[in-house]
Amino acid sequence: MVDLTAKLGKLTLKNPVMTASGTFGYGREYHQFFDIARLGAVVVKGIRLTPSHGNPTPRVCEVTGGMLNAIGLQGPGVDKFLHDEHYLPFLRTTGATVIVNIWGTSIDEYGEVAARLDAEKAGIAALEINISCPNVKAGGAAFGTDLKLAAEVVRTVRKRTTLPLVTKLSPNVTHIADFARAAEAEGSDAVSLINTLGAMVIDIEKRRPVLANRCGGLSGPAVKPVAVKMVYETSKAVKIPVIGMGGISCGADAVEFLLAGAKAVAVGTANFVEPTVSLEIIDFIAGYMERHGFRTVDELSGALEG
Amino acid sequence: MKTTIIANTRIQGDYFKLVFSSPEMAERAAAGQFTHIRIDNRQDRILRRPFSIHDTDAASGTVTVVYKVVGRGTAALSGLAAGTGIDAMGPLGRAYTPPEPGVLPVAVAGGYGAAAMFMLTRKQPGILLMGARSAADVILTDRYRDAGYEVRVATNDGSLGKKGFVTDLIPDLLAENPGRKFFFYGCGPHPMLTALAKLLRARGLDGELSVDHVMCCGVGACFACVVKVNDPESPDGWRYARSCSEGPVFPLADVYTE
Repeated sequence: MVDLTAKLGKLTLKNPVMTASGTFGYGREYHQFFDIARLGAVVVKGIRLTPSHGNPTPRVCEVTGGMLNAIGLQGPGVDKFLHDEHYLPFLRTTGATVIVNIWGTSIDEYGEVAARLDAEKAGIAALEINISCPNVKAGGAAFGTDLKLAAEVVRTVRKRTTLPLVTKLSPNVTHIADFARAAEAEGSDAVSLINTLGAMVIDIEKRRPVLANRCGGLSGPAVKPVAVKMVYETSKAVKIPVIGMGGISCGADAVEFLLAGAKAVAVGTANFVEPTVSLEIIDFIAGYMERHGFRTVDELSGALEG
Repeated sequence: MKTTIIANTRIQGDYFKLVFSSPEMAERAAAGQFTHIRIDNRQDRILRRPFSIHDTDAASGTVTVVYKVVGRGTAALSGLAAGTGIDAMGPLGRAYTPPEPGVLPVAVAGGYGAAAMFMLTRKQPGILLMGARSAADVILTDRYRDAGYEVRVATNDGSLGKKGFVTDLIPDLLAENPGRKFFFYGCGPHPMLTALAKLLRARGLDGELSVDHVMCCGVGACFACVVKVNDPESPDGWRYARSCSEGPVFPLADVYTE
């Protein structure tokens, strides 16, 4: 019998399969299809200090091998997340391992959200810092593509919570491993990658971008080889665990990320296609480990020949 | 849920009727709800497509969808033969509230919006106001008539019925039925629904409209398909609601009009 436990520093998961933030709502939406406590972790949609509308529509567009999205982080705000029955109070009743994705439009906001969640952390296993949202105070740059700002966000959040921290990295940089090292140096317990790749689709008849936001992020099977390479490079560059994601649609995809060095994986766009896909992936990983003689996920992680 | 196509046939022009087996969906589905279908014969296109549930037959355990070929997904779907396996989730979304006894239900349809409201005919007789660009887009009117509904048609080009918009049919309807208690149901393109909502409000009438946007997950997780709804608690007076899970059917009071 294989041991599927995934050890991510201070954070221990019952198996290495989690859901990617933004693709699994707040857990409740998929709990009608299966018991979400069976997942390694549920990573909820990004939470900031105040409620936000998100972007105008159209927010998504299907492309070959995936989709673009520019949802714009619509969300209830941290107060509602903590106290409204649809959000954290509901998740607590499921017994699921919950990771809360956080974001802000300023460094202070990241810190404040982390502190608010830390103060009522029952049922929260970890925080995931989303550093690929617009930084209005720094004039529209993204925290996740500026090494100094990225480090400052992690440092600020680290001071405001004792919860394990995962820093979610943007692939829209020259060397993603540099950002992983910066997050590690500032006390992040793990890094997760990749977020979506910047992308654009144009309607040639209307001569307009398809997305109301003009540009969006590409996800789905098309990005998987890019993501595997980034996970491979990053897991060599840092000592903290890497959570791999980007286009995972089946168990074999997940194993690729684990072999590349990830200690756990997250499933994103595939949830939209098949709500129970994560359960199939967990089963596949167990079967793969058995066939190949891996007793633990740690043994499988990075077990790439050559 | 994996199932099998029983029939997939052209009913008229670009309009098709898909029948598939799903006893559970047939049992539970109500007017206004949808099924989210995975169409596997599309090259490297993975997302499901939502379709209004047109009709069900609990005895045979079948679900019927009426769709128009408008893009790649529906074109691929129209190429699937009976006996082909498909994967259909549902029923999903909020249904219309069935009409109360004594009320005259009026279904206001724009194009294939007529498909989504058909199961309302299972209650008392009512009226279908069918709007379309031209006669070629007037669909399902015989089915509504057979189910006991009176049908009135408006086309933009005047090729069938009254020339104009479907909402132009409403003043006469009201004038002919003084003192009658109505309840309106709407399904169609956004401009039609906005016009309908404004007219109903101006006349002090009530109803429910199906308002949606391009969907992705179909279950409320991704926040792609949001539509603006009135929300007195929001500082802006509105919020984005997920049309797949909070809708697609919204009470008239919630429907946002500029």
